[in-house]
Amino acid sequence: MLEIKNLTKSYGDVLALDRFSLDLKKGEVLGLLGPNGAGKTTLISILSGTLGDFTGTASFLGRDLFADRSLKNRLGVVPQDMAFYDELSAMDNLLFWGGLYDVPRAELKKRAAELLELVELSARAREPVKNFSGGMKRRLNTAIGLLHRPDLLLLDEPTVGIDVQAKVSILDIIRSVGAAGTAVVFTTHQLAEVETTCSRIAIMDRGRVLAQGTLEELVRIVGERDVVEIAGEFAAAAFSEAVRDLAGARVELLSAADGLASLAVADTAEVPRIMDRLFRRQLAVTDMKIKTPNLETVFLKLTGRSLRD
Amino acid sequence: MRRLLLVLATDVRRHLKSPAAILVFMAIPMVMTALIGIIFAPRTEGKELPPIPLVLVDRDKGLASKLLLGSFDVDRMKKMFQVTVADEAEGRRRMKKGKASAMLVVPERFTLDLLEARTTALTVVKNPAEQFLPDVVEEFVSTLAVMLSGAVQAFAEEARGIRAMIDRPIESFPWDKLGPELGRAQKKMAAAEKVLNPLLLGLKEEETRAAGAKAQVTRTDIFSMMLPGMAVMFLLFIVQTLMRDIVSERQDGKLRRMMTTPLRPLELVGARLAGGWVMGVAVLLVMVAVGTLLFRARWGTFGYFLALAAAASFWTAAFFGLFHALVRNRNQAGAFAAPIILAFSLFGGSMMNPEAMPKAFLAVGLATPNRWFIDGAALVRDGKFPALSLLVLAGSGLVLTALAVPALRRRTSV
Repeated sequence: MLEIKNLTKSYGDVLALDRFSLDLKKGEVLGLLGPNGAGKTTLISILSGTLGDFTGTASFLGRDLFADRSLKNRLGVVPQDMAFYDELSAMDNLLFWGGLYDVPRAELKKRAAELLELVELSARAREPVKNFSGGMKRRLNTAIGLLHRPDLLLLDEPTVGIDVQAKVSILDIIRSVGAAGTAVVFTTHQLAEVETTCSRIAIMDRGRVLAQGTLEELVRIVGERDVVEIAGEFAAAAFSEAVRDLAGARVELLSAADGLASLAVADTAEVPRIMDRLFRRQLAVTDMKIKTPNLETVFLKLTGRSLRD
Repeated sequence: MRRLLLVLATDVRRHLKSPAAILVFMAIPMVMTALIGIIFAPRTEGKELPPIPLVLVDRDKGLASKLLLGSFDVDRMKKMFQVTVADEAEGRRRMKKGKASAMLVVPERFTLDLLEARTTALTVVKNPAEQFLPDVVEEFVSTLAVMLSGAVQAFAEEARGIRAMIDRPIESFPWDKLGPELGRAQKKMAAAEKVLNPLLLGLKEEETRAAGAKAQVTRTDIFSMMLPGMAVMFLLFIVQTLMRDIVSERQDGKLRRMMTTPLRPLELVGARLAGGWVMGVAVLLVMVAVGTLLFRARWGTFGYFLALAAAASFWTAAFFGLFHALVRNRNQAGAFAAPIILAFSLFGGSMMNPEAMPKAFLAVGLATPNRWFIDGAALVRDGKFPALSLLVLAGSGLVLTALAVPALRRRTSV
């Protein structure tokens, strides 16, 4: 349905997208996971036609996404901004934004009512949106992108700044939209969101896809090894030096920063050896955790940094 | 076109749903017009003088002085004079305190002198502290004296008869002769009334003015002259506020979202310019209605005024379309717009009468919509077609539109 090839975009000397390529099938929900500055919003902006001056191609439904204006009727976009009119009601907003697409008026009204039901705003459909909570506004923002039943839905961090209940509601909507056959791309830096919502995950950093696949496929990148996370009062270089001769098939240094380091171990029996080495080198350890492999450990291995960095 | 109309209709609805800014901008010119009109317009009511305080000193205490005092008690005289009967010392004291404009002294034997057709005199003592009102009293008394003299001469025979009867003791008063004497006098009065009533000669007031001098303006005229200037100044403020959406929607992400839909940039630009135009005309028409209701302002032929309002709103929408294509953000728009509008209003004649403005101001004013709108409105008020104003506003509006459309398209493409 969507085939992106070698998308490249620079802001001056900064490379925001670096030969980015991706395929997406009908009904697939793709989570684009990456830290701030990874290039997620740039990708969404290019695909939605609001950012120019790039190279590369994107084919959507067999046509050139960047040349064929009629494809805008098949594309839904949910921006990170709450982009609607506060002084209008939820229903009036839906009718206005939906009216910009080629949807017959009668059908649009019916669809708007359906969506208000879906995002649980029916009871307040006629109330000015300025009275809504942040979560309600996010749900309305999402509903606007679905009015014209798009074949591809692009969501840019749709759960930013809302409470858990509203977040769960929006993620449910994304899952149901995917189940109904719409291909979905949504960006986030919340690991739990992509783990629970997406059928496929792409990990992005510095404008490139580092790895993509299902959660299970990605976890296999780290292997079956546990991850030992060690916190303490040590320098990154001193830690790396201390565990250097332990590294091998059974122990792998995943990341080392001042005060925090991670190692993959084939067996938890390796942990005492590691701790002994650190004590011998007089590196102060204040905390130690053993984690089973998950998306976070995959991300850590691929990017060398935590999502919070 | 369908999308253009949808954006236009939604814009109008949005602004009508939260009309606070528009209402404030519409109320300000009305309040300013009312205040300036009340302060500077001549009063049409209260032209009559207040009653003139007059002290009457009655040294005669006879029939004629009583009749004289009674004549001040009729309604018409009450409006002119407020009479206090006092002695001379009290009269002078009241004048000194400013409580009396003049003192009328009726001399002793006044009644007898009149009955005997002897020369007598009423004395008017004028308050030296006042200039105008004592002269009115003096003129009035001199007129009264002429009338009394005439009456005494006309009724001299009857007066002598009555005088002769008065001199007799009361017990020998010839009551039987009093009737015929009064009857003769009554017949003379009736004859005189036939001649005098109705009066053949009337008095008509007419305002005169020197050649070339202007007619005195009424308060309604002041409002009618001021309102167009105020209206166009606040039209600029209102349209500017409405069209600020162009920059604010760029900042808050709505523009980006619109551009993800099939809406074309040119449709959006057209909707924004048309929205400013439509709202401008509507605002001006509301101001006309309110100005007519509140101030009874005259606007002239409605069709001509509508054309002028449409041309001025078109100019304003095009100008602020271009303006918002050039500014970077909402704050910059706010910072620059107010000084521009105030300069237009100052040089264009919204803040002062163009006839009282320096020549340099007048020359600069030709580049403002205010000047052309005010001039056009003055012509429309006089029943004339404002051809030149329409031509200038519509023509320059077209030029501004031609500049605004590509500039806005560039700003719209994100």
